[in-house]
Amino acid sequence: MKMWYEREGTDEDVVLSTKACLVRNVKGYNFPSKMDERDAKSLLAKVDSVIDKSVFSGGLATDIVNRGEAETLMKAQISGRDGSLLYGPDKKAIYYNEDYGLSVAVGNSEHLTIKAQAAGHDVGVYRLAEKIAVDLEKKLDIAYSEKYGFLTSSVKLTGTGLKFLYTVAIPAIAKTEGGIATLRQRVGQYEWMIYPFADQGELNESGVYIIASVSTLGVSESETIERGEMLIKDVIKAERACREQFATKKKTQMKDLYGRAYGLLRFAALMSRREALDAVCWLRLYRDYDDSSEFECKWKMLNTITQEVCWEQQRRGEINTQTSQKKRAERIRKILKGVD
Amino acid sequence: MRCERCGVELTNKIIKINDVPYCENCARIMGYGKFLRNPEEMLGSAFSPFDEIASSIMQMNELDFGNSALSCPKCGMTLREFERKGRLGCIECYNTFNDYIVKEMFKQQGESTYGGRMPAQFAELSGEENEQPAPAKKEAPAEKAPVKEEAKESGNEAEPASEESADLKALALEKLAKLEKADLGMLSDEDLQTAIKLAADNEDYILASKLRDELKGRKEGK
Repeated sequence: MKMWYEREGTDEDVVLSTKACLVRNVKGYNFPSKMDERDAKSLLAKVDSVIDKSVFSGGLATDIVNRGEAETLMKAQISGRDGSLLYGPDKKAIYYNEDYGLSVAVGNSEHLTIKAQAAGHDVGVYRLAEKIAVDLEKKLDIAYSEKYGFLTSSVKLTGTGLKFLYTVAIPAIAKTEGGIATLRQRVGQYEWMIYPFADQGELNESGVYIIASVSTLGVSESETIERGEMLIKDVIKAERACREQFATKKKTQMKDLYGRAYGLLRFAALMSRREALDAVCWLRLYRDYDDSSEFECKWKMLNTITQEVCWEQQRRGEINTQTSQKKRAERIRKILKGVD
Repeated sequence: MRCERCGVELTNKIIKINDVPYCENCARIMGYGKFLRNPEEMLGSAFSPFDEIASSIMQMNELDFGNSALSCPKCGMTLREFERKGRLGCIECYNTFNDYIVKEMFKQQGESTYGGRMPAQFAELSGEENEQPAPAKKEAPAEKAPVKEEAKESGNEAEPASEESADLKALALEKLAKLEKADLGMLSDEDLQTAIKLAADNEDYILASKLRDELKGRKEGK
């Protein structure tokens, strides 16, 4: 079974993924930061009894860790980039569907975190997350007030409890002078926010950014999604226009960088994360303008590489060791060969 | 707020000595400089006297946090803990820290009113055929409609006037909607006063209090 991000998606030249996260809390229990062990266990049992087992597998986080599934959950972008969902596993549970596109985390920073994710630009993820949320709202006594909406531990989420996110690969905007500043301004006009996938370290120049909704009060779910839709269309348009500029104004350099980047990814035996993402950036910039048809380089392949490298689990003492670089290079070669 | 000694407007750092506000510069001139060093700086020195650290911490306590002793009767969360972590401990915290929570909501989202769906109901998304159960509407316009119908049937001559008042109401609501999104710093004091009245007349007390706070802040020189 393929992971959700290995599928083809709409506007996948720019949008890596679309995610909808809904948080909910159950009445009668303190929020996770103030919950004692007895309550935590009671909550886990209560949620386990109502979760739709025909859709979800998984269960107690302790069992997941013991079964060695932590890496898979990180790769599937369920457990967070730092794997934080699996810290203190005895008070948590995680449920996920077959392709890991749908998940319900119990006992993280809120009682329930319902997440739906899909490759490319896919607004349908909201409905998928909402369907699960509504099902749980019918079966559990959810903390809700008419004044503030869904009550959450974080005031930033009180209200709809909805976070809608697009992960975008926008190397052309990032490499255009003032591109990100202009985009940030535009995103702010929609009352959304944009931030780089990583501020520092190996991934800080990956050209991968996250565009996320901010407001959960004063707006309905529908308004949040509509604004996101308008915004993402602008971003896609701007990125494509910038790529066109690069491809037409610096054709020879771009062609050269494209070929070199492909060669590196396709044949290198050792590969750091920075190297991999930098090479993918050049492939993205020129992929649609390459008329030689010499390389097989599908968007799905580039997106799989980007997401796997970005959400790779970093084991202590293994950062950029020869073993991890070798493993990464092998995996990338496999993806580009189309073996996987 | 201004420094009592030199009159400079206090922005980032406010030093209170015997409850009187001073700027950092004046506090240093008055001989309180030794209390203004960074705690890190003092902790770094092997010879820093403990009472200096304690005084500095006491000064810092005066600078922030309102009623820091306030705590939630259910989960024990204190206001200071909430301000530090940005997270609440339980549902009861919403009642205990209500004023602070509303302030935090305004600070982070510029809003404190809910506009989403109700539990166990699907949201209505535009451009989508709604196969899901219809979401509950918060407003109740249906109650107003029969009143208009009755007026028509009774041949009420005042109808044009009521239409006019409806127009005025719509205009006021439009103004309020604009005000909610406006940068309050751009409005003059008179504009703010007019806006407060408009908001209060239309029972938008949250906006009115937001405007009032802005005006009050200006008067206090914040």
